[in-house]
Amino acid sequence: MIEVKDVSKRFIDKKRHVTALNHVSFTVEKGQIVGLLGENGAGKTTLLRAIATLLSIDEGNILVDGYDTVKNPEKIKTKMGVLFGGETGLYDRLTARENLKYFAALYGMSKHETKVRIDELSRMFGMRDFLDRKVKGFSKGMRQKLSISRSIIHDPEIILFDEPTTGLDITASNVFRQLVHQLKQQDKTIIFSSHIMEEVSMLCDSVAMIHKGEIVYHGMLEDLYAEEDSRDLNYIFMSKLVRGDGDYAS
Amino acid sequence: MLRKVYFKELKDAFRDQRTLLLTVLIPIIMMTGLVLFYEFTFFSSSEGEEYDLAISEGIGDEERTVFQEHENINLIEFADPVDAVIEGEAQAAVIFEANFFDKLDTHETTEVTIYGDTFSRNSSNLIQEVTLALATFERAVVLERLLAEGIDHEIIVPFTIEQSEISEESMPLNLLAMLVPLMLILAIGIGASPSASDLFAGEKERKTMEALLMTPVKRSTLLIGKWLAITTIGAVIGIITLLVVLLEIQFFTEHLLSAFQETENMFLIFAMIALIAIAYAVFSAAILMLTSIAAKTVKESQSYSTPVMMIAIVPAMLTQTMGVHEFNLFHYSVPILNFFTINKELLLGIINIEHILIVIGTNLLAGIILFAICRMMFMKDKWVMD
Ligand SMILES: Nc1ncnc2c1ncn2[C@@H]1O[C@H](COP(=O)(O)OP(=O)(O)OP(=O)(O)O)[C@@H](O)[C@H]1O
Ligand SMILES: [Mg+2]
Repeated sequence: MIEVKDVSKRFIDKKRHVTALNHVSFTVEKGQIVGLLGENGAGKTTLLRAIATLLSIDEGNILVDGYDTVKNPEKIKTKMGVLFGGETGLYDRLTARENLKYFAALYGMSKHETKVRIDELSRMFGMRDFLDRKVKGFSKGMRQKLSISRSIIHDPEIILFDEPTTGLDITASNVFRQLVHQLKQQDKTIIFSSHIMEEVSMLCDSVAMIHKGEIVYHGMLEDLYAEEDSRDLNYIFMSKLVRGDGDYAS
Repeated sequence: MLRKVYFKELKDAFRDQRTLLLTVLIPIIMMTGLVLFYEFTFFSSSEGEEYDLAISEGIGDEERTVFQEHENINLIEFADPVDAVIEGEAQAAVIFEANFFDKLDTHETTEVTIYGDTFSRNSSNLIQEVTLALATFERAVVLERLLAEGIDHEIIVPFTIEQSEISEESMPLNLLAMLVPLMLILAIGIGASPSASDLFAGEKERKTMEALLMTPVKRSTLLIGKWLAITTIGAVIGIITLLVVLLEIQFFTEHLLSAFQETENMFLIFAMIALIAIAYAVFSAAILMLTSIAAKTVKESQSYSTPVMMIAIVPAMLTQTMGVHEFNLFHYSVPILNFFTINKELLLGIINIEHILIVIGTNLLAGIILFAICRMMFMKDKWVMD
């Protein structure tokens, strides 16, 4: 379970104060798949980084399975996998297997565990053909498969993906979508940010909409559809943003 | 865990063609150039080299005999010898007054003029050689005249002069003692800098840093692992560079080798220099690491580290003009500066354990202080994520 309680985060960028998160609160239950929606600069990456213990926060706190992200980051790290961007976080001069082995080692996995896990992941993603090739010449799709494998090498309970399919073609995006389905069956908790509404409506149980650092909606997808009397997420999202802005103006 | 990080970074770095190229090629090219330059310009100059001396057309055999003993002077006849020097067809010209030898016989004063370009080293050498030849000839003429008068020659040559150099610093070795540390410092800096930029700024750029920080490995463990990896690369390059110099001096030089052999402990000296290079690598890895942490991209990181490396030229210039006896504690305790002073001392054949320990100690200390700053920065999100 992830509990985000009244979290604020400000950046000072070239003498200008930017409020990236403004009193954000929401809860994600175990086994839920949450879509995080927001425009560019809305604060999605900042929120995911804060949950991932990678960023300190100015106000509020975040609990992951009861552990505070600031006080007990090590407890959280072992049960969490993150991937920022769709095909990033790889070492080009190492082979796919070496990349995976390195991260497995950093997570303290034994040689045997690592081998079993790499076999499992390479079967799951069909990576056998390029497992022992250097990452340098990989296509985007191959990189994405490897990036995702790397982020879940230690079989985490909670997984955060920041715009996992941005810049990828349909085939590569489908790899991600299939994976989310599989992970859902394993009762994993997943939060992923996205610009692609159909992806969110296809995969998620619930959505969180963030706008200018504030959560403008959080709830089950089905409830949202009922509430808005529409199944067009794109339309709902846009109207929420407009209403959100209107509220601030008054 | 530290070992895992360290070995992965080394593997990664040495798979980078730039690192490989810089580690192996740079030292070989730089040092070969340096050693051969020395061997051929400073040592072999006055001995063995031949010079062309312009003389007037139709000059007599007597004039030619003046230079007979000097086999490295080629006499070449020109209609206008001075013009030949200006045109570069000879390094100097010598013009005897008309009827020079007739006038000598009749004890009339006569003249011989040397034309040359003292700004050219070859010309200066030839002028010196010609002056020597003429002086010898002059003495022979005087002796002949004295004998004819029945006077013993000891009256005119009351004593002979011998010059002997007491300074331990021969000019070429002195320059070499500045250039070897300069090359070493540059090789270590240039060689370790691509990996250093890659290990922090590069990880930020490729977004591997976030993945890395998400593992339960402590940030300081990552930092130490990376620091050791950069240090190792720098040290390896330093030692390869030294080995190249040592081998080339051993096998390809004659004069330089004999200059070093006078100092007896050549191998011990090179071992000491290697040790100091390792200590310096620890320090310079910390500097490079700092520039890499402060930067967001590899390019930015390199734009910081390049000027930092240029600083090395300043102490090089400073120590060049100073004799080893002028160095004091200050010169041995400031990193970078002390790399030049200690190497100069060692290359001139002086092994002073106390100085060596001070240099190693201060480099390690400065490295640790810089590491502490790096650690402070690395703990802050601002420097770790873009
Ligand atoms: N390290 C930082 N320093 C300064 N400002 C930052 C930093 N990180 C984020 N911001 C600012 O915080 C705000 C939220 O940024 P964030 O990256 O979280 O948005 P996002 O929703 O992920 O956008 P995108 O869809 O473009 O990825 C932006 O205004 C951004 O400029
Ligand atoms: Mg983002």
